[in-house]
Amino acid sequence: MKLRLSPFLISLLLVAAAPLACAQKTPASPDPAVVEEMDEYASVPISDPFERVNRAIFKFNDGLYTYALRPISKGYVAVVPKAGRDGIENFFNNLLYPVRVVNCTLQGKFSRAGLETGKFAVNTVAGLGGFIRISDDVPALASLPREDTGQTLGVWHIGQGPYLVLPLFGPGTVRDTVGMFGDRYLSPLNWDIQQNVEWYNWKVRTGVDVVNGVQRLPGTFKTLDAVRKDALDPYIAVRSSYVQYREAAVNQ
Amino acid sequence: MNLRPLKFAALTVLISAFPLASAEPAPELSGEVNGVLKGAVDSVLAIAYDSAGAATPLSQRVRPVLEKYFNFETITRKAIGPGWQQFTPEQQACTVTLFTEVVIRNYADRFEAGDRPGISYAAEVVPDPKRPHVRDLPTSIDYAGKKYSVVYRMEKSAENWRIVDVKIEGVSMIANWRSQFNPLFLHGGAPEVIATLKQNLSNSAAK
Repeated sequence: MKLRLSPFLISLLLVAAAPLACAQKTPASPDPAVVEEMDEYASVPISDPFERVNRAIFKFNDGLYTYALRPISKGYVAVVPKAGRDGIENFFNNLLYPVRVVNCTLQGKFSRAGLETGKFAVNTVAGLGGFIRISDDVPALASLPREDTGQTLGVWHIGQGPYLVLPLFGPGTVRDTVGMFGDRYLSPLNWDIQQNVEWYNWKVRTGVDVVNGVQRLPGTFKTLDAVRKDALDPYIAVRSSYVQYREAAVNQ
Repeated sequence: MNLRPLKFAALTVLISAFPLASAEPAPELSGEVNGVLKGAVDSVLAIAYDSAGAATPLSQRVRPVLEKYFNFETITRKAIGPGWQQFTPEQQACTVTLFTEVVIRNYADRFEAGDRPGISYAAEVVPDPKRPHVRDLPTSIDYAGKKYSVVYRMEKSAENWRIVDVKIEGVSMIANWRSQFNPLFLHGGAPEVIATLKQNLSNSAAK
């Protein structure tokens, strides 16, 4: 049976429920310290129904990072000088312009989408194809927050869903995992441009993917180490930081 | 008699009076808090990037400054949460001592050799008008070619403004610690919290 509530019935229920809500006894003199701590830093409930599996993957990733990816990251830092690493990072970030501009637009941030376009134009033209981040010298373009599909879903009030730790990729949520596919679709690195650019065959594309993956390692490990170093429970520390970081990004 | 205009007028008066009734007087922003924060940050950076004292671990060198500007008792209380009330005074004192050590070490670990970071300060914010003794101080830290948003939360206690939380890129230090302390406290109460802190400190000393 389909239950339909008329607006009148709903308003009646609301009116009737109001005294009940107000009737809850308020302590005569609540301890201000307790009240403050209860509301201010009460743990944000994080849905983690797969915690056991997530912890196993977290441990697996630890091994993968320690024995495979950290040595690669160290080698990259040792071989490529800082200026080169910065240039490569700037280049790949500049390429992600479609991800940022589309998501700014989908979130209704049209002026920021315009600024992203300006930033892309400045860095591509004056910054030698994006290797030099000239936009840092333009105050309006210097600190535009990053935008991605996961954030857009959050802005659309789609809940983050259960916390997930993915092999290799690390922490995430169901919402961000879906968003990751959106980002991949929007990233020019994954566009099928071989029809127009003959030399961009699968070998070149794989090479570009590898360089892009490697150039992100030092920054990723730096962040990860900052979060988990000295943590009482590294798994919870990373989970809390990730969820807080993403919620802050959605609210930005 | 048509009472609709009267009802409408009464409703308008009620609605317009509501903000007056609920409004708190806006706290005065004198810039004093920003001055305290700048003093704290400058003092820490002066120590962290002073090559003369490099022989002593940074956590030891910055400790006096951090103890002056951070309210570690409040930080610990907030990080533990409402369960703090169930700690005995001895357990509370012990937890503050241990946790202070962990936080100072954690803070000192954030500094790396290299260029001194550039910091720009934005205007302070009163996050809740009902608590004028609490301020958020947004800053932007420019370090190694990247910009980070760092918000310091400061509280006034005993006439001094002191730091009680640091939010880096939206991640609150206290919320993070709270999420780690909660399961420990729920599982084994204060003794488990204290034992884990001791274990954590001895593990890092052994590294």
